[in-house]
Amino acid sequence: MKAIKNRAWYALFTAPLLLIFSIVVLVPFAIGIYYSFISWDGIPANPKVFVGFDNYVHVFQDDRFMKSAWLTIKFTFLALVIVNIMGLALSLLVTSKLRTSNIARTLFFMPNLIGGLILGYIWKFIFTDVFNYVGENTGMGSIFFNWLLNPDYALYAIAIVFAWQMAGYTMIIYIAGIQGIPDDLMEAAKVDGANAWHKLTKIIFPLLMPSFTICLFLTLSGAFKIFDVNLSLTGGGPINSTEMFAMNIFNEIFGYSRYGIGQAKAILFFVLVAAVTLVQVYITKKREVQM
Amino acid sequence: MKKTGKWILEALLVVIALLFLSPIYIMIVNSFKTRSELYENALALPSSFSFEYYAQAMQKMNFMTAFGNSLFVTLVSLLFIVVLASMTAWMLVRSNNRLSQIIFMVLVSTMLIPFQTLMMPLMQVMGWIGTTLHIPMLNTHGGLIFMNVGFHASMAVFLYHGFIKSVPIALEEAATLDGCSKFGVFWRIVFPMLKTITITVAILDVIMMWNDYLLPSLTLSDKGLRTIPLSTFYFFGEFTIVWNLAMAGLTLSIIPVVIFYFIAQKHIIKGVAEGAVK
Amino acid sequence: MTKIKRFISITITSVMLLTILSACGGNNADKGGSGGDNGSEKLPKISLFQSKVEIADQLESMAKKYKEETGNEIDVWGSAGDNYLTQLQAKLNAGEGPTIFGVQTGAETTKLQSYYYDMSNESYVKNIAPNMEVKIDGKIIGVPTGVEGFGFVYNKALVDPSKITDLASFKAFLEESKAKGINGFSLSQEAYFLIGHILNTPFALQQDPLGFIEKLNKGEVKMADTKEFQEFGQYMEAIRELAKNPLEVTYDKQMGDFATGKTAIVHQGNWSYGMLQDYKDIDAGMMAMPLAGNTKLAVDIPAIWVINNKASADQIKAANAFFEWLYNSETGKNIIVNEFKFIPAMTNIETSNLDPLSQAVSEATVSGNTIPWALTYFPQGIIQNDLAPVAQEFFLTPTMTGDQLLKKLDEVWAKAPKQ
Repeated sequence: MKAIKNRAWYALFTAPLLLIFSIVVLVPFAIGIYYSFISWDGIPANPKVFVGFDNYVHVFQDDRFMKSAWLTIKFTFLALVIVNIMGLALSLLVTSKLRTSNIARTLFFMPNLIGGLILGYIWKFIFTDVFNYVGENTGMGSIFFNWLLNPDYALYAIAIVFAWQMAGYTMIIYIAGIQGIPDDLMEAAKVDGANAWHKLTKIIFPLLMPSFTICLFLTLSGAFKIFDVNLSLTGGGPINSTEMFAMNIFNEIFGYSRYGIGQAKAILFFVLVAAVTLVQVYITKKREVQM
Repeated sequence: MKKTGKWILEALLVVIALLFLSPIYIMIVNSFKTRSELYENALALPSSFSFEYYAQAMQKMNFMTAFGNSLFVTLVSLLFIVVLASMTAWMLVRSNNRLSQIIFMVLVSTMLIPFQTLMMPLMQVMGWIGTTLHIPMLNTHGGLIFMNVGFHASMAVFLYHGFIKSVPIALEEAATLDGCSKFGVFWRIVFPMLKTITITVAILDVIMMWNDYLLPSLTLSDKGLRTIPLSTFYFFGEFTIVWNLAMAGLTLSIIPVVIFYFIAQKHIIKGVAEGAVK
Repeated sequence: MTKIKRFISITITSVMLLTILSACGGNNADKGGSGGDNGSEKLPKISLFQSKVEIADQLESMAKKYKEETGNEIDVWGSAGDNYLTQLQAKLNAGEGPTIFGVQTGAETTKLQSYYYDMSNESYVKNIAPNMEVKIDGKIIGVPTGVEGFGFVYNKALVDPSKITDLASFKAFLEESKAKGINGFSLSQEAYFLIGHILNTPFALQQDPLGFIEKLNKGEVKMADTKEFQEFGQYMEAIRELAKNPLEVTYDKQMGDFATGKTAIVHQGNWSYGMLQDYKDIDAGMMAMPLAGNTKLAVDIPAIWVINNKASADQIKAANAFFEWLYNSETGKNIIVNEFKFIPAMTNIETSNLDPLSQAVSEATVSGNTIPWALTYFPQGIIQNDLAPVAQEFFLTPTMTGDQLLKKLDEVWAKAPKQ
């Protein structure tokens, strides 16, 4: 009796969300998997031809996609490190009781709000004009030049912009985590004479594990799917040096009108990334402290 | 010694904040400039601070209607996300069986799917619901809200999932013994303790939904339904942007979110002080 | 206790919101069907979707006038410039396509061809200028929005067009300008402005441009072996050596530099005149790119408006009535010329008050002194995805010759997908 009742509660609590989620995400995704086996240009009235695994075979022969996938992994790693170090540092700074904390919290949050295309255009201007100007006037021309025109630096430029945008985002989650640490624990540590470093590594970090899981994952998924900044800042250039995964797929689907191949790329990459990240989530989740 | 350390930190914070803000400075000063003034020097202060571009942008965007639409869509979506995701996450954490783990992993892994690959099938599904079930999902706020909930639910569940663990289970057990149903336990005991993370979820989701362009652009067609990002389309040509109006429009559209954040973050901070007592 | 109260209030709010939601849905659902009760013949509301953001305002005021004059309604949808095709495709996939929509000529027109209503028998297509009809299988399937043209846009104070007639004089001009501290010629970093438009000239100068593209697709010819392209390679070398690096220049900057006299010539079209309006008066003209003795501007129809054959018969009727009004009534014709500022491709609409660049394009059209836009027939997506990266490499690599540029273009062209 009790088991049935519990199951009913379980369904009542989870079913509404899962239903909506399935309709909006799972069903379209399943249809997407089906499309990865057909040849189609994305126009509903035009013919869809079943081609089996041809699209997948094609993807493996697509050097440009392979390059782009590798680039995305590189970028994601870079972004993961920068964003989280910055986000964590900012959150520690603004939760220490400084006079300027309050206002700083709001200021760090603001980059989040400038989304999409405008963001890219503003930064394009910074990398192009401001960097050149600084380089010419300070003699540091070897650092301050137009990064967007250098195939080696353009990726770092995107990483900077992404970090600028995401650091405030992860900061918010880290703040929530830090605020969740009970004050008495910190007080006790103080009484025991722990220094700041000890407090950080022995109390704060272990208790922040849930926040780490979340932030690492959110940065990861954000970085993998990066599109707007990529498009508006470099457009994939120069010489395709920054064409990342989402953009490559977008170009395939809407540029070349090869819908099936684009889907196949998406599915392949999804499987790869999901495998890696689920392992990551699994590991960090294990280290979370249950209370 | 300690005092100087603190001053250095303060100074550091201010410097970082200013550096962080420089792109926003560019956005604001250029909302006051003509194309030729912007071309002359995008960094300089404008020659005059007249708000004519703001007025123009507001009028073109039909700002008050768009604002109302954005507010409605964002808040209702948020309400559903918070209610449904917190309940789901709690159940998943508390009945930690194989099914819960699978559900959780599915929710989380779908966050890695680029929206670009979902949008065509999504539109087909929504069109199908409209023609077959006669529930209009497209070109309605209701449909957009439905999709918002679907897309943002997984992140909210993910956030709640991590934080529910820090809620002491002993309290819930006590309440159950007192004869509370699961519903009562959740809403009376658990949910209030999730205040900090609820506000965090609210902040993150509000940013994303308020600024979203792509999804509403696919689903809404009628002029009267446009959200704020949609109504800025007038300023974005294929190769160039009407800078002053676009920047003014953007500034106008982020002000409400900044105010929202300013109020919300106070609750997060206050939450700690209270949290210890509860 | 307060917790319970709060819970109750939350529940009530959600229920109320649900009700509001469903109410919203209901209202919108039957919006379309409110025609018929107006006594006289009232046509159903139709929708128009197009990509030119610059005329979004004008279209909306046109819709108002249309309603005032005829009582019929037309709903103008909006989209940011680079989002249009995605949105159109999404809406077609949902079965919620617009009644009238715009498509670019060339490959895009072909791609969407299963959606076109056959306009051949409608009266408004009778006035389309000769050679401006867009046909598929002999049927007229769209009305041209107007004509546009591009070429060398020059500052009359700095350039004497009669002195730039071939590669040698073009080079001499660049050198001369450089000595004066002026940038002689400017492309810009956007894919079309970097390579798409300028590459059009050698294609358009072929005997049969479309045939040439087809042969190129099949690998039967090579750009590197073709005379016009070889000269094009030399032009590109000259531009890289003697003018400012186009990758440093955005469209905005290109036009700003031009308007302030820092750049003498830009490779642009009549649409760019709108960018000059915020500056002090500048006397601009348009001349042909003098490649291989060419004296003609590249003028063509950039886009057509089509009627969606998946719309209901009533809506198609309404769409026809709208075109009838737009292209044949005085109000409609006036809107096209004076508000959209289009150079009409219709014989029954007279141009007036054209800006200098449009004037040049219009004159070229009338005298027949034009070359076509071969670039619209390039394989889809190739300019953005394949040609632009090669052009970027060329401008970033000082040692790359014009010939190597062509070979590389040939190489990516061969690899790129073709429909």
